[in-house]
Amino acid sequence: MIFGGIDAGSRAIKAVLWDLKRGEVLASGVCDQGVRQEALAHDLFQKLLDDAGIGADDVERTVATGYGRNLIGFADATITEITCHARGVRHLAPEARTVIDIGGQDSKVIRLSAKGMVQDFAMNDRCAAGTGRFLEVVSARLGVEAGELGDLASRSISPAPISSMCVVFAETEIVGLLASGAPPEDIVAGVQHSIAQRVAGMAGRNVEEPVLFTGGVALVSGMAAALEAVFKKPVRVAANPQFTGALGAALLAASHS
Amino acid sequence: MKDSPARITLEEWDARYAELRVAGLREPWYGGPLRRHVDEGGDYRLLRLRYDNSAAALRLWNFLLTEEDRLKEARRQGKKLVGAMKDLGTVPVMAYSLANVTAFYPDGAWWIPCVMELSSRDLEIADSLGIDESFCPVRAMLGAFLTEAHFPIPDLLTCNVGATCDDFSAIAQRLNGLGFPILWWETPHRRQPDSAAGEESVPLPGGLIAPREQVDFVRSELERVRGAIEEVAGGRLDDAALRDGIRVANRMRRVLAELRQLAYSAPVCPIPALEMLIAEMLALHFCSDREEAIRVLEELLEEARRRVGEGVGPLRKDAVRVFWVNPVADLRAMNILEDCGGRVCGTEYLFSHALDPIPEDVAPMEALARTALADPMVGPCSDRADRICRDIQLFGAEAVLVSRIPGASHCAVEGAVIHETVRKRLGLPVQEIEVPPLCDAVAPTIRTRIEALIEIVKGRRKP
Repeated sequence: MIFGGIDAGSRAIKAVLWDLKRGEVLASGVCDQGVRQEALAHDLFQKLLDDAGIGADDVERTVATGYGRNLIGFADATITEITCHARGVRHLAPEARTVIDIGGQDSKVIRLSAKGMVQDFAMNDRCAAGTGRFLEVVSARLGVEAGELGDLASRSISPAPISSMCVVFAETEIVGLLASGAPPEDIVAGVQHSIAQRVAGMAGRNVEEPVLFTGGVALVSGMAAALEAVFKKPVRVAANPQFTGALGAALLAASHS
Repeated sequence: MKDSPARITLEEWDARYAELRVAGLREPWYGGPLRRHVDEGGDYRLLRLRYDNSAAALRLWNFLLTEEDRLKEARRQGKKLVGAMKDLGTVPVMAYSLANVTAFYPDGAWWIPCVMELSSRDLEIADSLGIDESFCPVRAMLGAFLTEAHFPIPDLLTCNVGATCDDFSAIAQRLNGLGFPILWWETPHRRQPDSAAGEESVPLPGGLIAPREQVDFVRSELERVRGAIEEVAGGRLDDAALRDGIRVANRMRRVLAELRQLAYSAPVCPIPALEMLIAEMLALHFCSDREEAIRVLEELLEEARRRVGEGVGPLRKDAVRVFWVNPVADLRAMNILEDCGGRVCGTEYLFSHALDPIPEDVAPMEALARTALADPMVGPCSDRADRICRDIQLFGAEAVLVSRIPGASHCAVEGAVIHETVRKRLGLPVQEIEVPPLCDAVAPTIRTRIEALIEIVKGRRKP
């Protein structure tokens, strides 16, 4: 039996097909988010079905998650990204007690019980500080691709001090740092540190190990190290971190069927 | 006519009202269809809310939304008006003890931007006076005073300051600077008596204590307020009148206590969160008519009793039981909780002292001083967190929602303290949300947090 999971995030839509019998991901894919969310999700889902060589009727049940979940009309149910991420992490690393998820526009810290159930969670407020949006701002300002940020940051000797309170203020600070001749690698490293600090502030004092890092920002090299430096704990990057929510949604679709 | 409890829209209320009329609905002078508040009063937010469908709820809403009319009528009749600012249930008790005085709560203007969906422009006026959105939405009060569109200018304006809200103090000072004289009365930061130094410990409502010195100080401050009320009223406010006033206030508090007990602990929620919020607010200032406020609550209580007796209510039986902390700037937030599958089981709206009975076994001014000093805002956050934990256990809540008010200084750290205390002591999930005066733009975010909280509780319920 095949189950679908769709994570309609703020920056990207991720989808997963889960084969319950074989206990493995049959297909997964990602596309940029846009105005016509349902059509984008539908096209992505159809592509996954084509890749897997199955039809829509072969999918027993589909769960949508993410901020655009309620717009995915062809899903059978919606579940929040907090529960879906937790479920995905429970599958990938059952021992994990804390999940740090950093996406395009939001970040969250999820505390899990020993059984992998959500105990509590914290999410960023209105500002996109502490999210992937911050990295997009810096990559645009520096004229580098997001994928190059990690390598750039790894060359930093002295990360630049950058406010962690507000993306708009931080952008002004970046302009000022560039004008004062600060090396781009120090600026990127400073931004990564700033994001990590913001997330740590949100997490509070009760961060239990093991800590698993999920979401698209986990793909940016250097971010896990920045989190480790701030949290003073090992931070593991999940396998295919961008798909954790979609995987969790598919697993929940299977367990609710 | 279908009498089963439900939450209905304003549109559905039109039909429901017609049904109730045909069935013989008897209404007070301020009755009528809810829609008229949109058509005549510009209360556009009502179009986006969901309401309880009972006649008792209709009366509650109509009573709330006609306060302006009552205040104008009181002025016309020559009654003296006391605007009791940052006062949650003390000065109004004093004021209503005299027959020719009506008290009201100018701070209530903080809901005008929500109810009128910003069309009243009160926030813009506050902006123009330098009190911008970095302050609490109660800044709308400045606009209300300048336009006089929502209440008459009171004959006496009092404001409680000291260990209260910084924003409110700043806003009230701005108001004073605009030519509205204010009688300031102070409440110190409540502290524990120093038993080693031999300080007398005085019991306060809500199980709190304070040193005798602080109670005496607040009593002397309230004596100044009493003098000012007497001057405005042109008559003596003696202890006998105050005792009567306290007795009536306590009658209302008892009705509300029973209503809260039923609404928050019944297996099936009998009265939705929005109507309960308004009911609790009535305890502060009686909506400008003390006796009618009691009758309105009694009718709501009667409806609640009937529904509990029949085991029916407007929400699902398996609704997740959520304890709600702090009032919301946008009433719609209360609807969202219920839309997501939750129900309110206990509240702490920063005025729990206004719900507790005022002591009747001590001199009236002493009793009022003790009540004022029991204000959750003047004590440490930990006192508030203690009470929240106690009430969570009383009402059997399964999760806690702390609603922050944008710009409100008292919300800066207390959420974290409450979160930590509840988590450690009771092991319940706690979530914070920030609710601006119009929450439509952030409604998906609020909804996600509430839905996730509800998913957590449902996950815990599974064996």
